[in-house]
Amino acid sequence: MHLLTGFILALLVSALLRATIPERPLLAAILPAVAAAGLLAFFASELLSMEFWAGGVGFVAILSALLVVMHPNPMVSVLFLILHLFCIALFYLMLQAQALAALQVIVYAGAIMVLFVFVIMLLNLRAEEGLRLGGGVQRIGALSVGALFAGLMFWAIRNRRDHPFFAPDALVEGFGTARQLGWLLYGKYLFAFEAASILLLAAMVGAVVLAKRRLQ
Amino acid sequence: MEREVLQVGLEAAIKIALFLFVMLTTVAYMTWVERRVSAWIQDRRGPNRVGPFGLLQPLADGVKFLFKETIVPPFVYKPVYVLAPALIFVPALVTFSVVPFGPTLHAFGRDIRLQIADVDNGILIVLAFASMGVYGVALAGWSSNNKYSLMGGLRSSAQLISYELAMGVAVIGVLMATGSLRLGDVVAHQEAYGWNVLWQLPGFLIFLVAAFAETNRLPFDLPEADSELVAGYHTEYSGMWFSMFYMAEYANMITASALIVTLYFGGYNVPGLRLLGLPEPVAVATQVIAFGLKVAFFLFLYVWVRWTIPRFRYDQLMNLGWKVLLPIGLGHVLWVSFLVLRGWA
Repeated sequence: MHLLTGFILALLVSALLRATIPERPLLAAILPAVAAAGLLAFFASELLSMEFWAGGVGFVAILSALLVVMHPNPMVSVLFLILHLFCIALFYLMLQAQALAALQVIVYAGAIMVLFVFVIMLLNLRAEEGLRLGGGVQRIGALSVGALFAGLMFWAIRNRRDHPFFAPDALVEGFGTARQLGWLLYGKYLFAFEAASILLLAAMVGAVVLAKRRLQ
Repeated sequence: MEREVLQVGLEAAIKIALFLFVMLTTVAYMTWVERRVSAWIQDRRGPNRVGPFGLLQPLADGVKFLFKETIVPPFVYKPVYVLAPALIFVPALVTFSVVPFGPTLHAFGRDIRLQIADVDNGILIVLAFASMGVYGVALAGWSSNNKYSLMGGLRSSAQLISYELAMGVAVIGVLMATGSLRLGDVVAHQEAYGWNVLWQLPGFLIFLVAAFAETNRLPFDLPEADSELVAGYHTEYSGMWFSMFYMAEYANMITASALIVTLYFGGYNVPGLRLLGLPEPVAVATQVIAFGLKVAFFLFLYVWVRWTIPRFRYDQLMNLGWKVLLPIGLGHVLWVSFLVLRGWA
């Protein structure tokens, strides 16, 4: 984990330098680059470890999720949401669920986010209209729910069963392939799957009825 | 362990470097082919001054683009404006990584698969990255802050979503026949049972039309439609960034052609090659060349269609996608599943 922690620290130092001494942008670029090169020389063997990549993707995922909420421009928020969804797909991949990773990219990053982009382009939202913080009540509510969630996560991680993070041997044969996914969806969970599809159909019909004021 | 990782990494690096070289050279020469073939179709001469037959024209063009001033208009949203050309270029290159361009080669004591990434879910990866291509166009249009560009971006996002659906439905036929999402298996299946195009003609035609729409080529180039939108989504781009869009268009065409060949025309497979009993390196080379020739034919088809069929109107485009291609595609899926269930496929 030294390599990853070092990289993140270098990135933070770079951001701090850029914020405090903006008149010398070269300094903010060179110092962290030197630090990163040194780290790479010392801990090169960690490049092959799963922890490094999982942690790196996790860091990017959290950073992009934060930027989704905090960036003033709605279009940039959407771009960071796409990046975030990509990170989640990478997590699926690392957990050997390859079909799910591809589906995540097709459905979320590919189809749903295009609709987001489309709507933002149609409404022509500008940066200044994007960020409108709520009042005191909303802030307190958000903070308390956030704290609750953080506590839950902390509790869950503390009490996790002692599996290693990455254990491909513990999986069943053919885990994560489209074949396995299909067997589960159309065999074991057929009823739930069909019920969900009927729900979606009902939602679609409802949307069409609502969108078309007068049905001829 | 470390040694094996190094070997695999080296093999992958060599394959990627070779692939990039071939791909980018082909992209450069496609610009020449397009201009020469269009000239031939229109009974002109085309670029024939730089080098023999104008063969050095792409080089001259590249130098010109590199030395042109890149003008960034003051009203654009710069972070996204800079990102967009890369966003359209990268998916085209990534998609190709799952396409097998040759059989397994036994050399240096290793089995070298002539494919960059032999993944289980090849077809899903293809669809995933095909749907990524829309962001480049849509974001270029939005960040340019120009109404023509915005119209181009909007059109492109609607068009790509509509045709992706038809494309996915067409691919289901191939998938059911093969029983696997791995593109290597798709080729192997066609080697054993004949090319898919022979009995999946509707699926092939839908895929072909959708591929034209996905690459924004005429008759579906509405996102740039020069007669209505100046140049659509890349109106505000200049210099090398503008040429990135062009390179992306040709890279997309090459990838789409390779996919058509892999899914419907047997990939690198040459019928009857095994009967000749050639030594292995020769056979492998023949198959790689056959793959290249098949792809070249579809690239030619792209150019041929561009200078033959006029641009669709936007409502015609949407009608074709949703009311013609999609129902035919669904019918095709039913038909293929009937054949597969009866064990005839």
